[in-house]
Amino acid sequence: MKKLINRREFLRLSALTAVGTAAAACGAQPTPTKAPEPTAVPAAKVEPTKAPEPTKAPAAPAATKAPEPTKAPAAPVSQYKEAPMLAELVKAGKLPPVDARLPKKPCVFPVQESVGKYGGTLRRAFSGVSDRWGPTKFVDRFWVWYDKSLNLQPRIIESWQVTPDAKTWTLKLREGMKWSDGKEYTSDDTMWWYQYELQNKKLNPAIPSQWRSAKTKKIVKLEVPDKYTLKFTYDDPKPLFLYGIARSVAGPNTPSHYMKELHEDTTSDKAKLAEDVKKRGFDSWDRYYLDFAQYWYANPERPFLGGWLAKGALSKELFIMERNPYFWAVDKEGNQLPYIDKITHRLFENAEVLNLWVTNGEIDFQNRHMSVANYTLYKQAEQKGDYKVLLGISAGHVAIQLNLTTKNKLLREFFNERKVRIAISHAINRNQINELVFNGLLKPRQYSPLPMSPNYYEKLSNAYLEYNPDLANKLLDEAGYSKKGSDGIRLHKDGTTPISFVIEGTDQTGTPTEDAALLVSKDLAKIGIKATYKYVERALYTQHYESNEIEAAWWGGDRTVVPLASEAPIFRATMIDRPWAPAWGLYYMDPNNPNAEEPPQGHWIRTIWKIWDEEVAVEPDPQKQNEAFKKILDIWAEELPYIGILGEQPALVIVKNGFKNYLPGMPIDDTTADEHLLHTETYFWDDPAKHTT
Amino acid sequence: MLVYIARRVLLMIPTIFLISIISFVAIQLPPGDFMTSYVAGLRTMGENIEQEAIDNLRERYGLGQPVYVQYIKWISGIILRGDWGQSMEWQKPVKDLIGERILLTVVLSLVSLLVSWFIAIPIGVYSATHQYSILDYVMSIISFIGVGVPGFLLALIIMYFAQTRLNLNVGGLFSQEYINAPWSVERVIDMLKHLWIPVLILAVEGTAGGIRTTRANLLDELNKPYVELARAKGLSEWKLIWKYPVRIALNPFFSTVGWSLASLISGATLISVVLSLQTTGPMQLRALTSQDMYLAGSFLLILSVLTVIGTLISDILLAWVDPRIRLEK
Repeated sequence: MKKLINRREFLRLSALTAVGTAAAACGAQPTPTKAPEPTAVPAAKVEPTKAPEPTKAPAAPAATKAPEPTKAPAAPVSQYKEAPMLAELVKAGKLPPVDARLPKKPCVFPVQESVGKYGGTLRRAFSGVSDRWGPTKFVDRFWVWYDKSLNLQPRIIESWQVTPDAKTWTLKLREGMKWSDGKEYTSDDTMWWYQYELQNKKLNPAIPSQWRSAKTKKIVKLEVPDKYTLKFTYDDPKPLFLYGIARSVAGPNTPSHYMKELHEDTTSDKAKLAEDVKKRGFDSWDRYYLDFAQYWYANPERPFLGGWLAKGALSKELFIMERNPYFWAVDKEGNQLPYIDKITHRLFENAEVLNLWVTNGEIDFQNRHMSVANYTLYKQAEQKGDYKVLLGISAGHVAIQLNLTTKNKLLREFFNERKVRIAISHAINRNQINELVFNGLLKPRQYSPLPMSPNYYEKLSNAYLEYNPDLANKLLDEAGYSKKGSDGIRLHKDGTTPISFVIEGTDQTGTPTEDAALLVSKDLAKIGIKATYKYVERALYTQHYESNEIEAAWWGGDRTVVPLASEAPIFRATMIDRPWAPAWGLYYMDPNNPNAEEPPQGHWIRTIWKIWDEEVAVEPDPQKQNEAFKKILDIWAEELPYIGILGEQPALVIVKNGFKNYLPGMPIDDTTADEHLLHTETYFWDDPAKHTT
Repeated sequence: MLVYIARRVLLMIPTIFLISIISFVAIQLPPGDFMTSYVAGLRTMGENIEQEAIDNLRERYGLGQPVYVQYIKWISGIILRGDWGQSMEWQKPVKDLIGERILLTVVLSLVSLLVSWFIAIPIGVYSATHQYSILDYVMSIISFIGVGVPGFLLALIIMYFAQTRLNLNVGGLFSQEYINAPWSVERVIDMLKHLWIPVLILAVEGTAGGIRTTRANLLDELNKPYVELARAKGLSEWKLIWKYPVRIALNPFFSTVGWSLASLISGATLISVVLSLQTTGPMQLRALTSQDMYLAGSFLLILSVLTVIGTLISDILLAWVDPRIRLEK
């Protein structure tokens, strides 16, 4: 609760004070009090505020550079401290001193356990270019990012302001902030992006929804009054503006001095550019620009603002990232971040090899690809591999979607009966499934925001969870489905057709989730409903839901940490791979879609859309916004469009002993970059010398 | 002979052309396209991607075009410019991708092929000439196990054993610190530490099959009258066996050169996947499942070219080894 109030207070202030100012979480002075976390972390074993670097790093309080106090007496006293490997470069004259590399007011990142030590390598694994999210989620954060309580805080920008009508957002950049090549980052960079990228028809055939007004569809207006100010003006309110960009990384953060040479309209050497496009195997410039040139991980030469920079190609067996000497954040004692020198991602073809790497202690920090099914395996090898399995909380749910718009008329009538959905929910023995399939690690709950979410709504989370087949039978009888066939299966209202449907899912035979689906189908058989689980190949599954040829689906539900950040697509039925009402969802997005269908007048789904369009999506006051969203959740709690079964699945995070500043118990969701919700740049090794390979 | 070879080479051109069309179309037969599997993959990992973005991507990759347009674009690139297209999944030219992995792949396959032949042929000959002896039984049992146990299972077992009992690090062909290191003595030693696992597995598979084939074929030959005659004429047993029946018993080895050539590149895919070897096999498999057309198509094309060439070579070899085979009609 406390989190909620903090967040509301904080954001309301910004809205109310006419042109309210967002706090400067990354404050001017590197003082501990500025850290946005108000309370100490309960779980953290805080190392009693000891001097951070007893031996290795620049320990001497005022020493300029590197660990040789005797040799640099004449040097001016440096305000900030830096990693030894950078200090050496400075000494060799290859890099400007740390004070000159940092912006005037560096961002101060809070540390979760203690101030860290410099050095070491972090070993992780990924499965190839299409799995680049392993590396990218580690570093990709934008102008703003979440703090531990899931409030947005300024990050690259110094502060933001928003007008009370939520139409104009003014962002203040940090003076003197540098790209990784040492050039300053200013509003010119964003302006160049706005002119040459966003409005380039080849690169953006349609303006992305983030950058256009919701109703007029017109492009946002960007003004840059000075070198460090960006002013975005929309025709309609855009209260979710900051959420929409929290994780993007290219876009408005474009190093224009570099990118303009790779842009066909602004390059000074067209022939050379064309040559490069061809050499890299692209058949058009726009593909070259969009798939290669603009991304730091694909194009290591592109200047970047992240904590680590790509060294070498992502398509190789080992992808290496090395610290960015110009990274613009420090800890509370003025040490330039990040602490860790190098992050490596090793390519694996097969999960079993990854498991062996983990149990052999060759993986230092990893959540991605760590399956809960292997919990015991990982636990058993903790000692041998010298690591611990920490638990985060996954945003995913085990759930069934009954297609309320299925083409089968009788089934549609059946699913659309509220009592039927509630009966089905009561018929499922959640505890049994949890024990038999998931070792009791999950929690019975409906699909709903997680407890740590600002949108947590207990009524929905706990709605109709009780296992009560008698009640379920009674509800079905009341709903008019009391007649049964000779085989005990209930009959539809036509009196002859047995109630039978197929639950399609992409969980293959033998997987735990498939076991769970089979148990659900047994539970439903007990109340006279025949529901058969059927594995379908995922491309086929996609075809089925896109064309609304699906009766019911077995696909979980995530985006439950900060649902508003992704515009709550599941709650509005617009994310049709969770097909609880695909035809209606398609209608809402585009009435002309051949598979779209208008929902009946007065249907509750129209109320959901109305609340979203007229209240949530235009409301600048975050408190009122959450209140409005709660109304949608309340409709969910009453109508139960989605049958949630289990949730709060523990997410396994392998953490090598001696790895610090990572906290267990964090939510793990795409929106908040999986296991990287906390500042990855503050991770460090207790004994960096031991981790140098 | 020369005329025969020339005729065969000419015939190869339409064959390869046809194969390329069929394989390109076959890749596109499953429902959906690269984007579908890409997006589905993202969603199972909990990633968020807007429909709008997907449509843009599909447009950019030319996936909306009819199959024949895509095919012509691809095949003309190969013939006219030596451009194999670009892999959608890896965002890199196909040529570079395959090029990076081909050396290790060929080394691995060649070493295991040779190892298995060198073991299989002598043992096969021994088994056949000493039929129903104790050693023959022992060899037969071992080779039946070798044929019966799937390679990937063996790979998993050996990998587990190597890691837990021998404390080796497994997966891949190098330890992490040597992956990007330049070639050096230490790096070669590190590679050898890893290489023995796949070679052992591949050799077990190949050897077992080889022993069975050699033994069976040789047994057929040993009872033929010409062996009897040679023996009656007093030819030494060693010379007799190795010079005549063995030569004929080896025919299957030569007639399979056609596939061996292709399997230099795609061989041991399953084992490479299990062992996480950065060879071309896993890349090919992945390209096929993700419908990464240009990469998958290029692999199939290369494989079919190699198979066609290999078949020609094996025909020539057979004619050379076995004088009974005549090229004339």
